[in-house]
Order: sequence, then C-alpha cells, then structure tokens
Amino acid sequence: MSLRAVPSANPPSTKSVADTANSYGVHDTFRYGLRSIETEISPAHPLENRLKQWEETQTNLKLTMQRRIYGIHAPIRHLMERSIVSRMQRLPGLPSSNFGMEILMGKDETIEFEDFLNELSTEIVDVHTAMEQKLGIK
Amino acid sequence: MRAKAEIPKGGFNFDNYRRNVFLEKQGLGLPKAIKTGTTIIGIHFKDGIILGADTRSTNDTIVANKNCKKIHYLAPNMYCAGAGTAADTEQSNALISSQLELHRLATGRQSRVITAVAMLKQMLFRYQGHVSAALIIGGYDISGPSLYNVHPHGSSDKLPFVAMGSGSLAAMAILESRWTKDLERDDAIELAKDAIEAGIFNDLGSGSNVDINIIEKDKVEILKNYAKPNERAVKEQSYKYKRGATAYLKEYVREFIVTEGDAMDIS
Repeated sequence: MSLRAVPSANPPSTKSVADTANSYGVHDTFRYGLRSIETEISPAHPLENRLKQWEETQTNLKLTMQRRIYGIHAPIRHLMERSIVSRMQRLPGLPSSNFGMEILMGKDETIEFEDFLNELSTEIVDVHTAMEQKLGIK
Repeated sequence: MRAKAEIPKGGFNFDNYRRNVFLEKQGLGLPKAIKTGTTIIGIHFKDGIILGADTRSTNDTIVANKNCKKIHYLAPNMYCAGAGTAADTEQSNALISSQLELHRLATGRQSRVITAVAMLKQMLFRYQGHVSAALIIGGYDISGPSLYNVHPHGSSDKLPFVAMGSGSLAAMAILESRWTKDLERDDAIELAKDAIEAGIFNDLGSGSNVDINIIEKDKVEILKNYAKPNERAVKEQSYKYKRGATAYLKEYVREFIVTEGDAMDIS
C-alpha cells in the first residue's frame, strides 16, 4: 500500500543459481547459455529499472489512491476489467495484440518510444521455456 | 543463445551498458553525440511569440552542419526550439508532436501550449536528464500567447522572454536590456535578431545564420535564414586550371553513342 511515485534505481533482487539450475544443481548451460552472476549483480544503467517499472509503479499508485479514496471495490473493479480483457491471448512466445487492454490502459490514444524504436527485435523466444513458465512446470 | 521467455519490448535497450562501462575503464570511450551548442530565444511581443535560433550544429569542435534547423514544428499553432543533443531534441519533439496530434483527434480541439509542456516535462523527468533536450516552446492557443522553457531534467518556467543553450548568456544580455512589454512586431523581430547575433558572435558553439519564427493568432510566419551575418566571401582569384596546363602522352577517343541500329527493347 505504498504511495511510491517513482521506481527505484536498482531493483531489489538476489540472483541465485537455483533459477537456472538443472537436475544436478548447477547452472544449465545447454538450456540457458553462459551466465555470470557477477555481471548480473553489478549496477545496471540507472535508467534501466526505472523505465521497466515505470508503468507498473504508476498503476500501483493510482490503485492505492483509489483504494484510499473510494474503498477496496474501486481497484478491484479496475483489476477485474483488466483480467477479463487479457484472458483471450495466443500461446506464450507468439505476439498477440490486446486491443481491449490498450483501451483500458489509455494506450490507444498515445504513442511512446516503445512503439517505434527497436520494434523489429529479432530475438527468438523459446516456446518451451515460455510454456513451462506459464504452466508452472520447471 | 540465451533462451528468452517473454517477447522483448521495444524502446531503449540497456544490454550493452555493462560492456560500455568495462570498455571505458580500459580507456575506450563512447563516441560523442552531435550537440547543438546553441543560442535559442523566445520573446513575447504585442500579438504573439517570436522564436529565434542560430543554425550551427557541432560535433565536439567540428561544425557538423552550417545551416541546420533548430525550430521544429509541434502543432499548427506551436513551435519548439531545441538545444542540447540534436537527436534528443528532434526525437522528443517528434514524439510530442505525434502525441499532440493524437490528442487533437481525440478531443477535437486546438492543442494548448501547456499540454505540450506537460507531456515533455513528464517524459524528460522519466528519463532523469539522460535525454539531453533543453527546449523553448512558444505558441498561441485559446488562452493567448504563451512561452515556456523546459530543462533536460523536467523543470519548466513560464516567462516573457527566455534564452537557452551555450549562447544563452550573450542573448539574455541583449534581451534583458532591450525587452519591454508590448513590443511592436518589427521591433520584436529586430530584438530577436540582435539577441541571436550576440550569441553567434560571442559563443563558439553558435554560428552561421539567424532563423526566426513568428507565431500569432491563427498565423505562423517562418523566416529561415532571416539574417546571414556569416556569408562566405567570394574568392578573389580564380583557381581553375587552364586547358593544356597538364601535358599528356597518349590520346584515345572512343565513340559511345551508337547512331545506327535499333533502340533497346525494354518491354
């Protein structure tokens, strides 16, 4: 229930080998490639976490204010509408345009850097990992 | 390749940040972005706003563009002059211009200057000053003429006359001594020209010509290169070589134009 207006510069996180461990307990290089925990905990660009968390922080602030002013029903209705709208999606790993979500978030009437910069990213998404994450299988 | 579970989002990519920090420690710095070491001004006059800018853009100590455009279109009734990193000013300006257009389509009304200023402030604050764009926004909307300046970290001021950029001190000196309320149009244009010329002649980062934009109610006049105090002098002598100055040993003459035969059939 915090009124945090701006995300912190560094994400509060601990990195452990357990995230990518295989059945032997070590990092699974076959599946995930090389990994260096030292570089993962060294300080990232001061803007990286700020931009990544911006949307979420602003939404949380809005919902907290709504809860304090109108009561618990206001944020609950808001989140209910969002979950209704995001139920119909493609399988993970495939791009799906969620137009209802865009309307709810107000993004149908604005344009941001994300919409035209770095759009055609050629990174391949691993469907198996994505599916495992979605179904909670490890 | 590292397997990714979600589709990567667009926008800025910070993947190379740690690599760059490492390289800088080894002594290989990043290339410098093109800046517009600049003089830009905005002044209120009786019926509207005048924006002025010089036309030099620099790449460290080299002049990258002797006649660049620093006053950008935001909306039919507003223009924005930008100082700082050239790419940042142009792109943030283009982004806000698009957002204003979408806003106009949604509301069906003429855009207000304060809307553009609010959008820019919020965007620049989000980027913590890393988007190095110092802007002067002037326009004429339903509430009259207004002039704002926005700093790279997201603060703004509403003022009767502003100057930004490396030549702002020189320009501000002229504006402080000669600006009065309700200037006539021609006096205001002269004042703007003199302020920019002060920046051009006294600041190394500004130079070349003076651009002026006059924004009045329902009318915008763009005077690109209104004054050119730095025209290149005509060369006093001719440096062309006379025919026959170079001796030659052999001469081949080949006919490439074919006079007989059919024309090429391209169908």
